[in-house]
Amino acid sequence: MTISLSASALSLRRDPRMLKAPPYLSFACILIGLIWLLVLPLDEYSRRTYISENALLPGQVHTYFGGSEQHVFRAYKEEVAALSGKDTHEINNSIEEILKGFGVKVGRQSYTYGAAGGAHSGENVYGILQAPRGDATEAIVLVCPWKTIDGSENRVGVALSLTLARYFKRWSLWSKDIILLFPPEPKVGTQAWVDAYHDAHDPRHVSPLPLKSGALQGALAIDYPSDHHFSTLHIIYDGVNGQLPNLDLINAVGWIAGNQMGIPSFIQGQYAHQNSYQDRLKTMFRGMLSQGLGNVAGAHSSFIPYHVDAVTLQPWGMGHQDEMAMGRVIEGSFRSLNNLLEHLHQSFFFYLLMSRDRFVSIGTYLPSAMLLAANFTIMAIFLWVKSGQAPESEGDKSKEKTTALDTSNTVERDMLLPAAIVAGSHALGMIPLFIFNRLPGDVLPHAFAIFSGISIVLPLIVSHLLTSFYKPTVQQSQLTKSFSLLVLGLSLSTLATLNFSLSFIIGLLATPLSFVQPTKSQPLRWGFAALLSLIAPPTIAYTAAMAAGADVGDLLRDASFGWNVLGVYTPVAIWGVWWPAWTVGTVNVLGFAAA
Amino acid sequence: MLFPIRLLAVLATSLFLPLASAEHTNNWAVLVGTSRFWFNYRHLSNVLSMYRTVKRLGIPDSQIILMLPDDMACNPRNAFPGTVYSNSNRAMDLYGDNIEVDYRGYEVTVENFIRLLTDRVGDEMPRSKRLLTDDKSNILIYMTGHGGNEFLKFQDAEEIGAWDLADAFQQMWEKKRYHEILFMIDTCQANTMFSRLYSPNIIATGSSELDQSSYSHHADNDVGVAVIDRYTYYNLEFLENQVKDLSSQKTVGDLFDSYDISKIHSNPGMRYDLFPGGADVARSRLITDFFGNIQNVEVDQKENGALEEELLELGRTIAMLRQKEADELNQYNNATSVPASQPTEPVKHIRGATALTEDNWWTKKVVGATALAGCVGLWALGSFLET
Repeated sequence: MTISLSASALSLRRDPRMLKAPPYLSFACILIGLIWLLVLPLDEYSRRTYISENALLPGQVHTYFGGSEQHVFRAYKEEVAALSGKDTHEINNSIEEILKGFGVKVGRQSYTYGAAGGAHSGENVYGILQAPRGDATEAIVLVCPWKTIDGSENRVGVALSLTLARYFKRWSLWSKDIILLFPPEPKVGTQAWVDAYHDAHDPRHVSPLPLKSGALQGALAIDYPSDHHFSTLHIIYDGVNGQLPNLDLINAVGWIAGNQMGIPSFIQGQYAHQNSYQDRLKTMFRGMLSQGLGNVAGAHSSFIPYHVDAVTLQPWGMGHQDEMAMGRVIEGSFRSLNNLLEHLHQSFFFYLLMSRDRFVSIGTYLPSAMLLAANFTIMAIFLWVKSGQAPESEGDKSKEKTTALDTSNTVERDMLLPAAIVAGSHALGMIPLFIFNRLPGDVLPHAFAIFSGISIVLPLIVSHLLTSFYKPTVQQSQLTKSFSLLVLGLSLSTLATLNFSLSFIIGLLATPLSFVQPTKSQPLRWGFAALLSLIAPPTIAYTAAMAAGADVGDLLRDASFGWNVLGVYTPVAIWGVWWPAWTVGTVNVLGFAAA
Repeated sequence: MLFPIRLLAVLATSLFLPLASAEHTNNWAVLVGTSRFWFNYRHLSNVLSMYRTVKRLGIPDSQIILMLPDDMACNPRNAFPGTVYSNSNRAMDLYGDNIEVDYRGYEVTVENFIRLLTDRVGDEMPRSKRLLTDDKSNILIYMTGHGGNEFLKFQDAEEIGAWDLADAFQQMWEKKRYHEILFMIDTCQANTMFSRLYSPNIIATGSSELDQSSYSHHADNDVGVAVIDRYTYYNLEFLENQVKDLSSQKTVGDLFDSYDISKIHSNPGMRYDLFPGGADVARSRLITDFFGNIQNVEVDQKENGALEEELLELGRTIAMLRQKEADELNQYNNATSVPASQPTEPVKHIRGATALTEDNWWTKKVVGATALAGCVGLWALGSFLET
């Protein structure tokens, strides 16, 4: 039985139809991967969010922020308004004075980062409100940058934070210290502070913190510039490098806002979410794009790489909710975080949100990116097998292969040139990675334009050199493509577990690389080349910048800033994985003989 | 033919009855909470409520073993430091006055619990941490925490199985460590915990069936957590309202009949089959037989005459010893001459207990009879004058 089975398996292996299957299989992988992603927002595949950490107990406490606190808030708002337009040092002096006024220990920290030729410097001021009966081993953070994400002054936010701090000081039920952080702006200041808090800062740029508390257990950031009453709450949760806070935190804050305070919340800027398929898909795509780019979304983002779960709360729209309601949402959330006994760990860290209350977890969505990555690996294995078989067609131009045809139709593989091409292109990828992260900001757009030109011409030159000096064989063409796709499949499947969206986006943009191959027809060959240039990384970068209504220079400055200040690794994936694969693919189409 | 059988039956019951209804002489309570952490506040308050109830009905702290894995009163999250409440009206602080926790914190383990029940403890174990019961002890065992099918979790670290519990009870029975047990448990799938018991004289009850959760009753929004579980809440409601003092004649059956599934939100279970006489006898047991402290006196079976003889003998021995001591003292005083200048210590005379002697026995009887007769005379005179 087993003999006959293995015999049939062996005969199946030799079946010529087996060699025809992989490209179709590969195509099926792409198709299924895409459809997989598109069906995720359906009710059958996504789940309602729920709170799985028992200790959080969201909304189970009465919140008392209000009443006379309103007068305190008004007073602080006056003081904050008086600071408008002053420099950071003066602002911090005033905040320090206020904090010290109600008995909070205050520390200050200065920092200077360099990125894209410019210097980002400033000074953080922060206060530690010690838990009266706690043991100072844990802390939660309330972050309130002086500037909002849009760059306007976070006036209401700062006044509200000060009022809350004064109010929190009167409670004796904190099990964790409460840290109030006032960075001058949401991105750099927070990063410097979090780095220094964990002693992971570069002492040349960032000064250490004079005052510390226990391990950070969670953080909320307030982004509240406008004075008018609001209707809904925007919860921003994306972290650096597409890392996400524990889903329990988003759910708990959303639950407290919605069910206790009656303030609906939304995510990813989808203000008018009708819970339709389209809206869910749009929300998911926005989330994926933000995750894929990996840049900071708010003051909370820098906390997440240190496993401190954090979100930014942004009041939105015109409505009847006032600052006190916002304060109560934060009070309720802090009471929930205060209940925690250990780090948030029960719920998911890897998820895609479709709306505030629907999500899919990693087990459900990961196969789509994995299928895209598998398509490259399947093609790579297929080409490897094919390259080891002597071609039966009369189109065979090589002489040495005929000798190996005696018993089996296997041939020796000549791997030096393919390996050299693939390794060389990946090595070349280091050049754009280096220059775009080192050049000053105003040179960047020009440098990128020049690089784009070189990137287009480079494959032409290489293929011309190859064809004129080397006369590469069909086998070498197959091996080059095989190696390149193998590296791509390997990198993308690894990346999918770290940053699903980035892996998916790159995988999707690179899918044509699986199917383009050298042809004898010259127009088709140039057609392929034209198609490839459409999906070239520089082309995509220009298109994306145009679609976002931004200058490509801004995009590059952001990328440089992300790399130098925040440690974003997206450029490595682009210049170290995607661009080399694209270059090899184009060289392969233009410079090799057709089968 | 019928007559002798009937006679035999009567004889058998008359022989058996005193054995079965042989009364207990002491009451013990083992109250166990098995969860720690702030969000399990209600389990601690469940246990403390039960503690308060058994104390109210007279079981002294020395006969209550209280196991609390966490200290909610001193948790920094507690908005009312030093207190534990089981109701959001916060009318009664369960922690406030006079509470004796025998096993606390990480001492609450499965091993310690089983060692407590079976009294397999080292010499160093203080008496306050031991269950010093005998075959005349009625024990209330109350447990609460997070459980599942045939297990109850202890502190996130370990769990006790239904078989472990059953075997522990059997060991207790074999070692004559109880007379009757009322086992009460409030946890998810609680009824599975007593499904494996096989030792006699146990009444068991639990809050919920297999695959059923046990629910909390209500939360206190200032404390910020649920403060009591439903099953315990309604047990307490009955005990507080119906069993006001030790004279209450409410039975275990009354308590079980008070369970209302629509209020408890799960199906409470009872088990009578281990009890001799089955459901009827078990249900007729008084609540105070388990929750109260009924100190029945066990009358010694020896003849009264023999006791008196012994007492008299003891009295004679004491008298003899006294005489001997006096003689020795006299001898000592005579032998040593004390210098006049030195102040002598006054000889202290400690009045000991009066030894019993035989001579004035009749006199006492006569005096007593006269006093009694006088009282009767006075009463007769009084009632005559009143009419």
